[in-house]
Amino acid sequence: MSELDLAALDRDGALEEARDGLSRAGFLGTLAATGTGALLALADDAGAAPLRRSDVEVLNYALSLEYLQAAFYTEAERSKALSKRAAEAARVVGAVERAHVKAFSSLLGRKAIARPRFDFQGVTEDSGDFIKTAVAFEDLAVAAYKGQAAKLKSGAVLASAIGIHTVEARHAAWMRYLTGVQPAASAFDEPQTRAEINQVVKATGFVSSAPRTSARRSPRYTG
Amino acid sequence: MVATADPRARASMDEAPIRNRSSRAELLRGGACAAGLALAGVTGVGLPGVVGAAPSPAQDERVLNLLLMVEYAEVGFYEAALRGGTLSGELESFAEIVAEHERAHLAVVREALGSAAEPEPRHDFAAATGDPDAFADAAGRLEDLAVAAYNGQAANVTPKAFAAAARIVSVEARHAAWIRSIGDRPPAPDATDQPKSAAEVREGLRKLGLQL
Amino acid sequence: MNRWRAIGAGVLAGAVIGVAAVALAGYGDPATPPPKRPELPPAPRPALVIPPPEGLGRETGLTRWAPLRRPTPARAAPSSAARVLARLSTRTPERTAHPLPVVGRRADGSGRLWLRVRLPILPNGTLGWVPRRAVGGYELVRHRLVVDLGEYEATLLLGDREVFSAPVGIGQARWPTPRGEFIVRNRLERYQSPQYGPVAFGTSARSATLTDWPAGGFVGIHGTDRPDILPGEVSHGCIRLRNADILRLAELMPVGTPVVIR
Repeated sequence: MSELDLAALDRDGALEEARDGLSRAGFLGTLAATGTGALLALADDAGAAPLRRSDVEVLNYALSLEYLQAAFYTEAERSKALSKRAAEAARVVGAVERAHVKAFSSLLGRKAIARPRFDFQGVTEDSGDFIKTAVAFEDLAVAAYKGQAAKLKSGAVLASAIGIHTVEARHAAWMRYLTGVQPAASAFDEPQTRAEINQVVKATGFVSSAPRTSARRSPRYTG
Repeated sequence: MVATADPRARASMDEAPIRNRSSRAELLRGGACAAGLALAGVTGVGLPGVVGAAPSPAQDERVLNLLLMVEYAEVGFYEAALRGGTLSGELESFAEIVAEHERAHLAVVREALGSAAEPEPRHDFAAATGDPDAFADAAGRLEDLAVAAYNGQAANVTPKAFAAAARIVSVEARHAAWIRSIGDRPPAPDATDQPKSAAEVREGLRKLGLQL
Repeated sequence: MNRWRAIGAGVLAGAVIGVAAVALAGYGDPATPPPKRPELPPAPRPALVIPPPEGLGRETGLTRWAPLRRPTPARAAPSSAARVLARLSTRTPERTAHPLPVVGRRADGSGRLWLRVRLPILPNGTLGWVPRRAVGGYELVRHRLVVDLGEYEATLLLGDREVFSAPVGIGQARWPTPRGEFIVRNRLERYQSPQYGPVAFGTSARSATLTDWPAGGFVGIHGTDRPDILPGEVSHGCIRLRNADILRLAELMPVGTPVVIR
């Protein structure tokens, strides 16, 4: 899929979960029986070895959420409409999310999904709306990474995912603190499935499509 | 069909001392022959991405006991702080809520271990009862250490333990950002959280006051 | 079952011994006492390489546009009671999306956001206000096309850097190319009109004299089948480039690029 097509993600997500029989430990357990072929496949030297198809899927899903967050914070920073503390958060967190986008895009290379288009409908241009949405996005990212990490086959990719997962949790706590809401609502954070995440993102209406700006027709300009 | 070894046999292999009278070359050859595999691909801990030992219930136990120490430390630290009576206002609320969370974490980890849970070590958390700034600083370091501890073990556990740990680690990260926010320090300056090894975690816990 | 156990045990023994042997390799002293139990494995090296987070930096020369999402009246002030200046539609005459250059923003009394935009109407340069909800997502552009009528030259800038320049034909005295700030609205190609060359860009600039021109009399930037008369005052208002030049420009200039004609 070339764009963040949530309907497609939804369908694929459900299929993926059904198909995904091999747990991570189960796979590693088969190492002993299947020999060096499996060992070499597992030897993910950072970026050098090919990624497993199912890991590519998970990485692209993470990338789509990072695109969303990066675009959100970047637009908010540029809007210059935020309070001092909100602007600082947008600046710092935006820089981190943009770095995440670069990292995922670089690892995925040609297999990376294209950057989606977003329409934040003024939410990035109002301090109150911005910070409330930031809370929701970060809580969502935590739940998403938590839900997806368990599916990863490669130890190296897993190590990357969990390092980012906890940073998103820090972001979530930070944004909650700025709104005056308890940074850690309960002792445990729950994972969410792709279907649940996609539903939330879809409901925001933030994901839009590229406007059609070219055509094949004879010009009628003044000439 | 996964070829699983007899857990009892495996446990004894883990505990068996290395026959250090043999030469290293002999050991390597012997290992390779016994396995019937070309172990050339396995250079152990040096090869990135390849874990030294696969997740197993026995390894889960060792991991959970490490995390148990972390939770013992956190509960002990916050309870000492609250008893100490030097906290007030926002810091006190923080300590009360977080202590509750850490108690819940401790309960989950203890329950997962059952009778295999190691006993709580002695501790002396001086910073907890010192001035509020010292408390805040130590709390931040403790929560950061917890995050690094959990993240360091994520690849070492079975899915069940992973799921349990995953629900906890992000809350530790929230605690860390929270206490920094209170202290007006940057709550999340880094792009990723680095893991710590078991040895590093134990060392960090000792420095904070847990007598391991 | 027993055979599998034996093989499994043997494999694990081999793996553990192999790992331990290499771990010991660094010690060099066979008499070093072994650890009581194996240490927990370290975390795998991460697959992701995350670059240091960077700020946005100085963003001079950035302009922004947004596509109109629904037919909307553009008003003289950021208020639904203000005078209507134009009724905007979501499509250009070429049936492409309608990009509006956004030059300002204000919240009204009830906190609703309004955007100040350049209107594609006469007189050229008219600004108006539309509700934020009427437009879609912002697109940012770093390029700028400057057309110097006196020098008969078009220059494409990226930030401060000149990345393209070419001689142009402009409007004859009767049909002058209007001065002002406009936007590239669309791009047409694969058509059969050689007088427009291989590719044509539409702008939001209107001819002030050809007011009855079909499709509104919008000024375009395009190729030509008469390169011999360039540069000069040759057209009905359009900015004409030699075909090789317009093709080069088409590789560099995105739709939405602001056009400054002076």
